Amino acid sequence: MNRFPKPDFESGYVYPQQQFVIPNEVLWSYIDIAVLVFLMGFVTWALIKKQIRWPVVLTSVVSIFYFGFFRNGCVCGIGAVQNVVLTLVSDSYSIPLYLLLLFTLPLVFAIFFGRVFCAGVCPFGALQELVNVKNWKISKSVSTVLGVFPWVYLGFAVLFAVTNSRFIICRFDPFVWIFRFGGELPLILFGVLLLIFSVFTGRPFCRFICPYGAILSLFSKISFRQVKITKKECINCSLCHNACPVDAIYPPYQNKVNEIRSKGVHRILRYVVFMPLMVAAGVTIMYMLSDKISRVNNDVRLYDMAMGNETNHSNVLSLELEAFWGREQTLEELAVRVEEVQKGFRIWSIIIGAFFGLVIALKLIHLSTKRGRKVYDISSAECVGCGRCFSYCPQNQKKIS
Amino acid sequence: MKSHKRVNHNPIARRDFLKSCARALAGGSLLALFGLTIRKTKAKDASCFWQIDPTKCTFCGRCETNCVKLSSAVKSVHAVKVCGYCDLCGGYYRTNAKELNTAAENLLCPTGAIQRKFVEEPFFEYSISEDLCNGCGKCAKGCNAFGNGSLFLQIKQELCKNCNECQISKVCPAHAISRVPVSNVYHLIDTL
Repeated sequence: MNRFPKPDFESGYVYPQQQFVIPNEVLWSYIDIAVLVFLMGFVTWALIKKQIRWPVVLTSVVSIFYFGFFRNGCVCGIGAVQNVVLTLVSDSYSIPLYLLLLFTLPLVFAIFFGRVFCAGVCPFGALQELVNVKNWKISKSVSTVLGVFPWVYLGFAVLFAVTNSRFIICRFDPFVWIFRFGGELPLILFGVLLLIFSVFTGRPFCRFICPYGAILSLFSKISFRQVKITKKECINCSLCHNACPVDAIYPPYQNKVNEIRSKGVHRILRYVVFMPLMVAAGVTIMYMLSDKISRVNNDVRLYDMAMGNETNHSNVLSLELEAFWGREQTLEELAVRVEEVQKGFRIWSIIIGAFFGLVIALKLIHLSTKRGRKVYDISSAECVGCGRCFSYCPQNQKKIS
Repeated sequence: MKSHKRVNHNPIARRDFLKSCARALAGGSLLALFGLTIRKTKAKDASCFWQIDPTKCTFCGRCETNCVKLSSAVKSVHAVKVCGYCDLCGGYYRTNAKELNTAAENLLCPTGAIQRKFVEEPFFEYSISEDLCNGCGKCAKGCNAFGNGSLFLQIKQELCKNCNECQISKVCPAHAISRVPVSNVYHLIDTL
């Protein structure tokens, strides 16, 4: 556009210089990785080797100030899930290396030492850790049902990420407003509510919402070194069980029903046969919903808007339609693009639906298996490594006296 | 032949075996994931900054209100080499301005962020004070409608929090905001 010619200045006027700051994020992001590894190592040392809690509290404070207030809490390992899956399927998007490390390093640590990332390195875990006072127990049935939610959330996050529609984990982040000193009111209220809950019971976000925590808990189930309450013999005093804020310590349990072994195996097999039905149900439901879900995508919404305007002309165009017609694009081009997006949604809805079915079926199978325990034992999948149990254990106190 | 006695399976041993399998599976899948994604991480063109494409921007004003920052990281930028230095500036004065003076009712910018300086007859220099600019894009809209389009919106990288998903990129009606690599972090009108 050049409506007016460049002026011929006669007074020797020189054009002012303009400065544009080039960000130096790359350097900072590698410092982030170094801090992340150091803090996870520190927590590992404290939980596995020394069995003490104060480093976890210290790490929480450091994490909130460094990852939270100094680095503004974004990007984080939780959100990086979406970048990783988008990179896997997309040709145009490529993940920066540090973000990939941010995603994989906590998982690597989880394979070796359990959820040390959750303990206090994750600023969200740290926030909830520091406000937690009480350890009210949540009934097993409630926590099992709520425990399915992180997987559902993960499924939807993956679905919307691979179709390049939205990053819902980032969109509905309940705590990041603290680090940004402001945000949307509903999310602030949700975050405050979660923090109030976490005063009374440990880590509601980590246990019932966080999709990355779900992946980490899966990995930490099989970790090489797991957090132990005490290195000495358990005397079954139940103090650790009462102290645990996330209900991860299970009391000794003896199966009263004396079942013949083969009967139990058959029961499990029946559930396994039943599993494909659950998967099929998940696939069907998600496939049927896929066109509705695809409206999350901006292009699909724009197409709907344009079609709505075709049938029902309105003189006042929405900003989206104004921009669309302004770009001199045709509805046909958009229709082709939308068809592509919806096809992606259909395929991925099938995959995610199967995943949902699998998750629920496996949860049910897990509920039906009971395993005897002779002593109090930590379920390493649920343990977030806060380290509260150590000081409650009388066997640990012994060495001091 | 020895009689086939049923060996009493040790449940712990079986569990350990399953655990090792699961570990191999978990480690393997993590390695595979890492391998698949690291091929695509070319540090050079990893696009992790957000920027507005001024050729697509429609000056809708959502940048002002949808940025996660209280005062948007989007600011108006003036390409002086493109500017016509007009007296009657479409980005400075309202279309219904009665007189061409600095009275507030004549000015387009709601925060008074545009400074006007006399250079020589008949030219005036316009500049943006960034502290006052709220990124509403009214000046850019006016300049594009009546002038050379030298005023445009850009995300200032020193202000941008660099969120994983830019909020305004998702409400932008023109899809003008996208991820850009660090080598191309500004889209300036005079260099396009």
